[in-house]
Amino acid sequence: MINIKLNVNGKDYSLEIEEDKRLIDVLREDLRFTGVKEGCSEGECGACSVIMDGRIVNSCLVMAVQANGSSIVTVEGLVKDGELDPVQRAFIEKGATQCGYCTPGFIMAARAFLNRAKDPTREEIREAISGNLCRCTGYNKIVDAIEEAYRYEKGI
Amino acid sequence: MKKRGRGIGLSFYGTGYGNGFPDVSNAWVRLLKDGKIGVYVGGAEVGQGAMTAFVQIAAEALGVPHDRVLLEIEDTLTTPDSGTAAATRQTYNTGNAIKIACENFKEKLKEVAKDILNLNSTAALEVKDGEVYLEIFPQKRVSLEKIADFLGGNILEAEGSFTAQTTKLDPETGQGAPYWPYTFSACGVELEVDTITGQVDILKAVLVQDVGRAVNPHLVEGQMDGGYAMALGYALFEDLNLKRGVMGNRKFSKYLIPTSMDVTELTKIIVEDPESTAPYGAKGIGEPVMIPVTPAILNAIYDATGVRITELPITPEKLAKAFSDFEKEG
Repeated sequence: MINIKLNVNGKDYSLEIEEDKRLIDVLREDLRFTGVKEGCSEGECGACSVIMDGRIVNSCLVMAVQANGSSIVTVEGLVKDGELDPVQRAFIEKGATQCGYCTPGFIMAARAFLNRAKDPTREEIREAISGNLCRCTGYNKIVDAIEEAYRYEKGI
Repeated sequence: MKKRGRGIGLSFYGTGYGNGFPDVSNAWVRLLKDGKIGVYVGGAEVGQGAMTAFVQIAAEALGVPHDRVLLEIEDTLTTPDSGTAAATRQTYNTGNAIKIACENFKEKLKEVAKDILNLNSTAALEVKDGEVYLEIFPQKRVSLEKIADFLGGNILEAEGSFTAQTTKLDPETGQGAPYWPYTFSACGVELEVDTITGQVDILKAVLVQDVGRAVNPHLVEGQMDGGYAMALGYALFEDLNLKRGVMGNRKFSKYLIPTSMDVTELTKIIVEDPESTAPYGAKGIGEPVMIPVTPAILNAIYDATGVRITELPITPEKLAKAFSDFEKEG
């Protein structure tokens, strides 16, 4: 067992965990942030994407000990004072979700991208979410939603 | 060398189980205590938007806003059998069952309203906007809340059942009408082939889908985008690599599905030609949206290179080899 400290969705946690746990295991099993989805378990599908110290990571490829001392945001951390994040709102508005399994990962990838984006083109949006796989939507409505979320945030 | 080509694919698709198989959907509709209406069907939501379509069809049939319809699906304890979410059949079959159940439910509402309003007949009674009223004397009206109050603990409920028309093909002659209804689609693509590397880039794509009537155009578009992307993967990338019954490509790093970078913008055209046997004319489109895309891609590759591809997926390696063989043979 080993002790780690994590800040998840704005709250500090001190945890005693087994050394071989991945970040996704700690988030889902120890802290019950089950919005983090496990897809392929090998960094191909992006369903487990979370934001770690401002960067998008596959939480299945990060060992929990590697995340020690870091700040993590999962999809549960996006709602502020009961208000959906603009990305979440746009996904609903544009119908960017079908079966929904990949959705939390896409929303986190979009959030991390929009935190830095300036007047993003559709091609740049496509590149930003290219680490996330979706079998249902064909991506077009997801790209629509991310464009829309940018407009919400800029008030345009 | 880069070569450009254009291709189209056309398809027609028979929806439902077909070939004489019993293709049945059932629905229940119930008046709830607060005057809202419960709709119960066994049709599964798998992301295609069945729940939205069911609520829309029920709200339309009952003449109430969507938020007065409470849908319960999938739970075998509380819902009747509505068949599988397969064969492009839920909107058509279960939609029909819901519409029939709602119509039966309205007749039952009118019976109760007749008693409450001291009328001698249900003729000319109309159910709309959460009220039952007499069309020829609209002062005579009662809300669904009042009807629920009046009934107390008694349950007002109606059933609807729909069986699709399908006949078994004659095994001797192959004659019959195995499916109804049919739906039609078309796809056109313009692409560029790199004849050295075998890389295919789709430059433009248009998908046209006959839907009878779009219950929810947004959802229809979502299905079209998804079907297009899936067919793109089927044509160009996706290979199980089966060897002696064992899947060789069991990972997303080997079994490649399209990413957001592979899928280009898609022009979507919805064709509405209402189907007379369908709920408000709406036919299913879940599977058909995929069908014409791969032929369109293969026809465009032929147009660009003169090479006829007969094996999928047409990976860069295979296409580069097919083109060099074609050149050698002249």
